[in-house]
Amino acid sequence: MTKRTLAAGVMALAASLLLVSCSAGSPAPEDSSAAPGVKKGGIATIALATEPDSLDATTANTFSAREVFTTFCEKLYDADAKLNLVPQLAAELPKVSDDGLTVDIKLRTGIQFNDGTPFDAAAVKTTLDRDRTYPTSARKKELAAVQDVTVVDPSTVRLTLNQPFAPLGAQLADRAGVIMSPTQLQKMGDNFTNDPVCVGPFTFQKRVPGSEIDFVKSDYYYDKDKVNLDGVTYKFIVDPNVRAANLRSGDLNAAEQITASDVPQLKAAGVDVQGVSTIAYQALSINTDPTTSSNPLAKSPELRKAFELALDRDAINKVVFSGANTVDCLPLPMQSAFRPSKVTCSKLDPKAAEKILKDSGEKLPIPVDLMVPTGQPGEKTAEVIKQMADKVGFDVTIRPVEFVTSLTEGRAGKFEMFLIGWSGRIDPDGDLNDIVTTGGSNNFSRVSDPELDQLVKQAAASNDVKTRAAVYAKVLDKIDEIKPNIYLYHDKWFLGMSGIAGVGYSSDALPRFKTAYLTK
Amino acid sequence: MTAAVSAVVPARPRPQWRRIARRFLHRPMAIVGLVLVLAFIALAVVGPMLTSDPDLQDFQVVLSPPSLAHPLGTDDLGRDVLARVANGARVSLLAGVVSTAIALVVGITLGLISGFYRGWFDAVLGRIVDVLLAFPFLIFAVGLAAILGASLTNVIAALAISQVPAVIRIARGEAMSIRDQEYVSGAIADGSRDGAIILKYVLPNAASAFIVQATVAIPAAIIGEATLSFLGLGVQPPNASWGILLTGAQQYLAQAPYLAVFPGLAIALTTLGFNLLGDGLRDALDPKGHR
Amino acid sequence: MIRFSLRTVGLAAITLVLASIVIFIGVRLLPGDPAQVLAGEQASPELLAAIREQFGLDQPLWVQYLRYVGEALQGNLGMSTRNNIPVTDLLLQRLPVTLELTALALAVAIIVGVSAGIVSAVKQGRFPDYVANGLGLIGLSVPSFWLGLIAILLFSVTWHVLPASGFVPFTTDPAGNLRGMVLPALVLGVGLSAVLMRQTRSALLGQLSADYVRTARSKGVGRGTEVRHAMRNSLTTVVTVLGLQLGGLIGGAIITEQIFVLPGFGKLMVDSVSSRDYPVLQGAVLLTVTAYIVVNLLVDIAYAYLNPRIRLNGGTE
Repeated sequence: MTKRTLAAGVMALAASLLLVSCSAGSPAPEDSSAAPGVKKGGIATIALATEPDSLDATTANTFSAREVFTTFCEKLYDADAKLNLVPQLAAELPKVSDDGLTVDIKLRTGIQFNDGTPFDAAAVKTTLDRDRTYPTSARKKELAAVQDVTVVDPSTVRLTLNQPFAPLGAQLADRAGVIMSPTQLQKMGDNFTNDPVCVGPFTFQKRVPGSEIDFVKSDYYYDKDKVNLDGVTYKFIVDPNVRAANLRSGDLNAAEQITASDVPQLKAAGVDVQGVSTIAYQALSINTDPTTSSNPLAKSPELRKAFELALDRDAINKVVFSGANTVDCLPLPMQSAFRPSKVTCSKLDPKAAEKILKDSGEKLPIPVDLMVPTGQPGEKTAEVIKQMADKVGFDVTIRPVEFVTSLTEGRAGKFEMFLIGWSGRIDPDGDLNDIVTTGGSNNFSRVSDPELDQLVKQAAASNDVKTRAAVYAKVLDKIDEIKPNIYLYHDKWFLGMSGIAGVGYSSDALPRFKTAYLTK
Repeated sequence: MTAAVSAVVPARPRPQWRRIARRFLHRPMAIVGLVLVLAFIALAVVGPMLTSDPDLQDFQVVLSPPSLAHPLGTDDLGRDVLARVANGARVSLLAGVVSTAIALVVGITLGLISGFYRGWFDAVLGRIVDVLLAFPFLIFAVGLAAILGASLTNVIAALAISQVPAVIRIARGEAMSIRDQEYVSGAIADGSRDGAIILKYVLPNAASAFIVQATVAIPAAIIGEATLSFLGLGVQPPNASWGILLTGAQQYLAQAPYLAVFPGLAIALTTLGFNLLGDGLRDALDPKGHR
Repeated sequence: MIRFSLRTVGLAAITLVLASIVIFIGVRLLPGDPAQVLAGEQASPELLAAIREQFGLDQPLWVQYLRYVGEALQGNLGMSTRNNIPVTDLLLQRLPVTLELTALALAVAIIVGVSAGIVSAVKQGRFPDYVANGLGLIGLSVPSFWLGLIAILLFSVTWHVLPASGFVPFTTDPAGNLRGMVLPALVLGVGLSAVLMRQTRSALLGQLSADYVRTARSKGVGRGTEVRHAMRNSLTTVVTVLGLQLGGLIGGAIITEQIFVLPGFGKLMVDSVSSRDYPVLQGAVLLTVTAYIVVNLLVDIAYAYLNPRIRLNGGTE
């Protein structure tokens, strides 16, 4: 895993015109195979920026694993470009009882796993139970609200909850919704990751750790008529320059996470580049815990506000990201239905910031230790932030720290300010719970506010969008008041393509190859 | 193990510095090397005072090619490349020279004692050196840098520690061969104190080997620092070493090649200078051996 | 000779044991641990504890070490925490790539370096000598990662003649494999060529000015024979230098594999540092160190065999 995991962007909306031409994706355009000129056969080679960890959906944690899952592991639900839930392996949207404690899921019938065994309610129960009980399951927390899974009939499962939990649907549209073949689970046990079998357009063939994972077209997939490629090979190329170079030299059909500054040149070289605004965000987490940070920023929301006033988000975006990112001051993505209708971010105001600093009575300049995971664009962002903050009376020292180390230090509170992102979730609960709630494992700023905790909990317990939106508005106000995090922007990601068409890259930053075909 | 670096070096009488200097000055390439090294040292010392602030960002002139205002162009944040290369000289030379100096002081002290006295100290140190030398230099430096974390001090420490074993080995060999010389045995028989013998006889006679080692080690450390930076383990901003500049330039290789050319040239020329200087010194110090 | 060999082997064995301890501790000195990496965004204390238990990381350090050594002696280097496959399998997969890369680089270095060294020594002080010397110095002075970047820019991006990356196993496509190896082997071989060229030159010059060659010359032996004899006697130096440079070659392979995305040993090491894959990192470094120790051991013995004086001096020096 590298820095991309946390910073990874996920579901996103396509406000951009670039996306109009792009197709497929979670709700795949159904006409792709019928279009004239679609070539059948061939193997597409794709470069991912990081190597997936486990290919077992119960334990997988990396963003790149999610990218690979789109090729061979479908989920109960998926999200469309507007972050709405759409059925994938389920036949319809979940039916929630009035008390919010029972959820019935109707499944597609007559479909098979890629080993030819039937997909049914019992298989769903096997996977969900495994997710909830496996010792090293990373899904436990996501499915914590589920008390019991029962098979109502071969095509219906019922989840009994211990409390109403609105984000459940969103969880089932992520890795918790991946259903694995019970036969294969039985056979491989702990080693399922070495030969994983799910329902999907392609099936796992082999993995060369550190190098590539190969998939071939599935004979059992219910929608196999729409699958054009004979296979998909994912290679892992960490360096963005090498990805771009290979794309230009024709060694790759697609490469994700192309650097914004490379886009014009790639386009000039005939490479098709598509961008999506992701639901990921980047923020400055400020250590607000006086027991681990002696910095005046830890105690004073006013000073944190001053730091924010010193930052010119647009300039950061322009200089570091060629203006591609979406500047924002909220954790919720632009495409979220739960975003307040009117958002006013505080404007750049160095004078006001200077005044706050002067009035604070602190000795100026105030030194600030800014921890940032090593590599670009993080370090560059930090350098620009330093120049801006230093102008109003801070004295920022940039401390680049290797990614895993930064997480360890971050969770131990060994920093004053931390430039760190979050890959974002479809449901707002995933962007707030555990991040701004007391004791959360991703609560780097160590904010602890009982009222905030209560509001976040309250919002998740309702199934009504309007009610929830109203509570989230209060949550966001509270965050703005305490300012544990200064949110900067939502990432835009670019997918470069050469000699390939029909690739889905829209509602999330996960390139999908179900309907893709080679053009050369 | 690793036989014989010093076995081939014959024991020599105490060098005569004036003659050596004359021999050195008769070699044009050696002088070129000396000039290059001095030029970069001057750049490191004086350069940053003459150029503008290397960290000053100007978003109006991002990635502009060389011009009058910015003789070497500007980088992706609109910073002056000339100022950054000049400032980088300071950081890179510091990393190269300080780490080598530390390695020499520690390594020579331990190595001379070990080679002069032999005994248990030599046996124990010999094992430790063998163990450390079993790690390829770069793997050792990368491991240390990863453990210590990225900063100029830590990079210097990592480079210094990785160099120490080789220096110990050389110093030990020198001490052993010089100790066997008659004039040393004589001094020992006369009852001179060991410390005095080491300082008076062993160290001066071994000096040429150390000087040559330094001219090999400094450029290796400069490239080592650049390599660590490339792997994300080098010095941290705003300390822009040449390695950092090169790594940053990588992304703009096609758009703004000058970003990579100048720091790349700086590294290559400095290294070249040290290599030429080293060759010249080796020849001047040991005219019989290698021409 | 046998006593000398036994002693040298014994010392090497002690070195190896100590090195294994250094590696074992060093790996654990890295901040963070495999559990932090595997848990990623989901890092709850319970999950971290479960993962640590799964890999035995909750045990005291000495228990972990003894367990590791016990297993290692039976040829089991543990399971990769990241990929859930035996470390030995992973090493065996990666080893051929790095061996091929280093062998090719070595071939480049020997062919270019030794022949340039001979030419330069024979034509001492004349044009070919200056050219060889100049190139040798440049080869020493340019950082290899820089050379790699420039090579990709020129050969792959601009001229489209060679791939920038994309490793194909030799067994599936020999031509494709070699095409992919050309740039990495050249980039890795350049530095070593320069070192070899310079060493060959100075050893050969030393030999050519030695008494026995002068005597032979005065007896009217031809220049070719003279060089041949001198070269044979210079070989020990060249062999020693090769042994000493092996570490540099392995270090260089790390960078080269990183730039050209070759799934070799060096890349495995760097990747396992960032994923804190203790067993893989331990296994890979241990194997490198073992190889290094064994090669140097062989060099020592070969050297003693070629040059009996060393043996008599009883010396590692």
